[in-house]
Order: sequence, then structure tokens, then C-alpha cells
Amino acid sequence: MAILEVRNLRVRYATAGPEILRGIDFSVDADDFCAVIGPSGAGKSTLIRCINRLVEPSAGEIILFGEDVRALAGRELRRLRRGIGMIFQEFNLVDRMSVMDNVLSGRLGYTGSLRGLLRLFPRADIDRALHILDRVGLSDHIEKRADELSGGQRQRVGIARALMQEPRLLLLDEPTSALDPKISRDVMGLVKGLAREYRVPALCNMHDVQLALEFCNRVIGLQDGFKKLDGPVETIRKADLDEIYAMEVL
Amino acid sequence: MTVLARSRTDVVLDARRRRRIGRVGIYAGVAAILAWCLQSTILADTEWSRLGGGLGVLAGVQRFLWLDFSLVPHLLVPAVETFMMATLGTLLGCVLSLPVAWFGALNVTPSRFIAYPIGRFMMVVSRSVHEIIWALLFVGAVGLGALPGVLAVAMRSVGFISKITAEAIENIDPKPVEAIRAVGGNHFQVMYYGIVPQILPVILGTIIFEWDINIRRSAVMGLVGAGGLGLVFFRQMAQFNYGGVTMVILAILALIAVGEVVSHYARKAVT
Repeated sequence: MAILEVRNLRVRYATAGPEILRGIDFSVDADDFCAVIGPSGAGKSTLIRCINRLVEPSAGEIILFGEDVRALAGRELRRLRRGIGMIFQEFNLVDRMSVMDNVLSGRLGYTGSLRGLLRLFPRADIDRALHILDRVGLSDHIEKRADELSGGQRQRVGIARALMQEPRLLLLDEPTSALDPKISRDVMGLVKGLAREYRVPALCNMHDVQLALEFCNRVIGLQDGFKKLDGPVETIRKADLDEIYAMEVL
Repeated sequence: MTVLARSRTDVVLDARRRRRIGRVGIYAGVAAILAWCLQSTILADTEWSRLGGGLGVLAGVQRFLWLDFSLVPHLLVPAVETFMMATLGTLLGCVLSLPVAWFGALNVTPSRFIAYPIGRFMMVVSRSVHEIIWALLFVGAVGLGALPGVLAVAMRSVGFISKITAEAIENIDPKPVEAIRAVGGNHFQVMYYGIVPQILPVILGTIIFEWDINIRRSAVMGLVGAGGLGLVFFRQMAQFNYGGVTMVILAILALIAVGEVVSHYARKAVT
């Protein structure tokens, strides 16, 4: 069953500018951990940001959980966003806040402004945060400031924040590009395990083809704004991958 | 297991509650100090009977609203003079800032024990004396007119420009400097090739910002007899021509708006 359906998605940032995405179609199933691969500038980040409307598509259709994403605005759009956990390449933590506050900020979509101002989160949120922090292996760092942590630990905070949202979909934007190879594998393994445990489908941008083949069950390949590849990992041939990345060897 | 998790939640909740109480305490303290300031400086220190009620205040304000357009032709020359005072003062300030910044930057200063303290001291002196005081000093020294205004603006600019410059020099990336040394460059070449290109955007941005501020400063120089729009302002005030005062204020506003636009584009161009 497809939970996300994208049809003929097109994006251009400036009215006269070049088209970044040129008619992308794909769907994501409820048990997918789907990789989006492609060279720099292929439109991976733009694609993933269209799903939660951080980027405004210029044409096409995005149906998420049976809802037309492009039709939403204001409160409705925020309700959609709080159900989509996003994990970023540079972690996007608030450095000056504690690990706990960063993780709890994942609940802001469910929290009123006044409660947010006083950092007054319900007991259930604290419970959930402690549980998730255990799961990502950060229970010893709860009160540390986010900038005291190493890269891998920081990304674990990012993962915990995304899971706090009780997400129905995870969007990962190059989650391991800022990490070294060993830590990258750890982090991918962790996300994969958690996604399975919480039964959340994921859409994951990656640069590293090897990691994609290793951790994802499906691969979508982008090149220069077009979809060049789409299928289960088992069916992906090396020649196809080489073709996608051929442009990068410049 | 659940019992353990519960108690951990309680620990976190307690810590958060304590911190929240601390934060609220700080807010309350700030509010109390603010209230005390309001009470002692405004509420207790104003002669409310002399205000003559809301109508009296309005009557005082409305005098300024009858614009005196006959003044317009007499504003152009002082406006240009103000503009030039700001520009010349900033340029002179830049020149004066060079040695001060050189002395006051730890990594390039000629001597840490003599030149460095001198440089730092000059920065402080320049900034701790108000521009009007500088203007008073120079009016006394060189007489009335725009010249004391230019000198005052320049003196006042040195502190900021040289401080930012010195800090930029101290924060440069040492690697290019090492490279220029390694190719056999002399002291001047090291500075010119290794340091100046690195700090140039910061310096130019600062100078433009300072020029922007100096337009404001030049506009009040006339209050102590150093020319420009301030002099017209002073005369209108002395004649109790409140409409004229407003005209001068509007002229200053227009001048500053022009400066704002120019500096916006200039800053864009240098970064």
C-alpha cells in the first residue's frame, strides 16, 4: 500500500530559473526504506523538501496518507509537518540548548506557544524522550549542551528529535554525509532499526551508493532533475549506477 | 523496569521545574528593577502639575507640526555641508585608524609593551569622548565652521574603525601569512599579500557603516557651532520657530535615508 504518491513533480526556484526537478513520479510503500541517490545537484534535497513543503513545488501532485499536500496551508500544513520526522545532513540542532531540550523540541508541533515558552512539556513527553534517548544510546548525555557532543552523537540527537514527533514518515537528507564511514554505518543501522521498530516508512537521500544498497530496500536514482532509476535493491545493476554518476566525473 | 523509568522521569521533571523557577525568578527580578527605575526616574522626578494634562502636551507637540516651507531653499547648502563633513571625517578617520590598528593588533604590533598599549589607549580615548565634546574642543582650537566638525567626526571614528580592524587582523588565518613568508616576502609584502586581502571586506563594511553613523553625527555638529544642518537647527530653535525645527529634522531624515540607501548598496558591493 502506497502511503506517498508523487506525480509529475516539478520545481523551479526562480520563475525564469532552470528547472531543478523535471517531472518526477514515484510512490513509497508503508514498509519501504527508500534511498534517493544521485550526484550533487541532481535535485535530491529539493525532492525531499517538497514532501513537507519546505520547498514549494511549481507543478505536480503529492499525495501523503491520502491528503493532497500542495493544498494545505497554515495550521493544516503544520499538522502535516509534525507527522513527518526530518533528519538533516548537518544535524540542525540548537547548539546552545541541552540534548534533552533539543529532543523535546520534536514535540513542539503538539505543544502550545505558552508551554513552549516555559519549556513546560508534559510528563508523557519526558518519558518518551528518556526512552528514545536510551534507544539511541545517549542516556548519559541528557543534560549536556548539544555542541559538546561528537558528530555521531549529534546525529543521534537529531534522530531522537525526529522520533519524538511520533512520525508517520521519516525524511532523511544525507544523514551520514557529515560523518566518517564507520559512524555512518552505525547511524544508518540505528535509523533502519528504529524505523522498523516504530513501523515508519523512510525516504533517505544518500550520496554513498554502497550505503544505500546495504541499508535500503528500494532505490530511486536521480540525475539532473529526472528519475533515471527506480526499483528494489536486488534489481539495481551496477551499469545503471555508473550511468547516473557518470556526470560527476568531470 | 517501569518503576526505574518513572523515577528517572521524576528526576528530569524536578530538574526542569527547578530551572524553570530560576528562570521565572530572573524575569521577576528584571521586572522589579525596571519598575524601580520607572518609579525613581520618571514617576517621582516629573512635575506632573506642569504638564497641564494631556491637552497641554498635545498643544506643545502641535507647534512643531506647522511646517515652515520657506526654509527649504536655505537647507540645501547645509545639507551638502553635513554630507561632506561626514565623508571627509570618515576618510580622515580611516587614515588615522591605520597606525592605531597596526599598533593595537597583538599579532602585528611593533612592540607588545609600548606600541600595543598606546594603540589600545587611543581606541578607548576616541570612543569614550562624545562627538559633541570633540567638536567643542576643536571649535575652541580652530574656530567655527565645518573644519572642527570634520576633525571631531574623524576623531570619534578612529575608535570604532581601528578596533574592528585590529580585531580582524588578530583573527586572520595565519596560513597565507606563512606562505608569503615562505616565498621570501618582506614585512610590507607579508602585510599586503597575507593580511590585507583577508581583512578587506570587514574593513570596507565597517567604514561604510561608520560613514552612515557619521552622517547622523555631522547633523548635530552645528549645535556647538561646527556647521551643517545642526547650525540651522540651532538657529530655528533659538528663534522659537518650531515649524522650521521640524523642517530641519525632516531634512536630516532625508539625508540619513539617502545615506542608508547608498550604504546598503555599497555594503552589498564589497561582500
